[in-house]
Amino acid sequence: MIIKLFELFVSFFKIGIFGFGGGYSMLSMIIGEADKFSISAAQMADLNALDMVVPGPIAINAATYVGYLYAGVFGAVFATFGVILPSFIIVTLIMRFIAKYRGNKIMDGFLTGGKPAAVGLIAAGAATIAASVLLQPNAVLSAIFTNPLETISIFLVAVFAVTAVANIRFKVNPILLTVLAGIAGAFLAK
Amino acid sequence: MLPVIENDIVVKYKMMPREDFLEYATLSQSLPGVIALNCATFVGRRAAGTLGMLAAGFGATVSAFALMIAATILLNIIPQQGPVAGAFRGIRAASAALIFAAAFTLGRHNIKTVFSVIVMLAAFTAVIFWNGGAPFVILAAGFAGYFYQRIKSKKKAEK
Repeated sequence: MIIKLFELFVSFFKIGIFGFGGGYSMLSMIIGEADKFSISAAQMADLNALDMVVPGPIAINAATYVGYLYAGVFGAVFATFGVILPSFIIVTLIMRFIAKYRGNKIMDGFLTGGKPAAVGLIAAGAATIAASVLLQPNAVLSAIFTNPLETISIFLVAVFAVTAVANIRFKVNPILLTVLAGIAGAFLAK
Repeated sequence: MLPVIENDIVVKYKMMPREDFLEYATLSQSLPGVIALNCATFVGRRAAGTLGMLAAGFGATVSAFALMIAATILLNIIPQQGPVAGAFRGIRAASAALIFAAAFTLGRHNIKTVFSVIVMLAAFTAVIFWNGGAPFVILAAGFAGYFYQRIKSKKKAEK
């Protein structure tokens, strides 16, 4: 148990301290570590859906969720503490040692690379989840070339495509899209 | 959320001038970690030192933590059978699409140069093949960005 709590703390501390680019960037890092905490891609997808209805920062919600599923309430406390601790440390260091914040060249340069990398990480997180949740029940991705129709659910791929286009192109509210996808799934998904 | 906090901090409690608050809010976005929490810790520390920082920071965390525990427990007691299982499958497909949409939205503002396209593709490929390599990827990309900016400003100076 203590080892589990320590693992959660270390993982989420790492995510907090390297978490450039906001909540989704950290969420994609958590997707990358999900295996370690026996969290499935489907559970990570559920987390993102919960994020839309539960107010509060994505990374704190994610730490609480993963920590709770892996090691109960104490797990949630350790994971959340891990992800928030870097903020206290970094803010303290900055306020103590850097007199002038704005136009800091090192920071600006770092973000020139960090932000595009965050875009890549988030896209990779989406791909990881999609590669698992768009399959037929009990199918594995490796069968995609030999038996595509029994591996991939055409209906779920359509839900994915419609949701992405509706949100990106027409700015349809994510909560509405999630609810619609749930209703469609209840009637149509096998 | 930001205008509400700004009003409380600047107008209601007069803790600091508006420019200072806005500077903290902007800086919070370029630092790693939870953006809202970074902002809370800056404001708390400025207004009331270390104790203020702890109070503001934990204040910004506790409500999300409590609500999320409750939501997770509720989610786990929903029986996933029949139409409910179908609904969950639809929701997960939409959820994956919305994460992809988040990448797209962030990319629209930050992917403008050849350099940024290369970094984005390299980061994507690296984490697909290396589970858990994200922190290293971010660091490497950050250093690449720093040197890219330095080379660019040197070239400008030579002209």
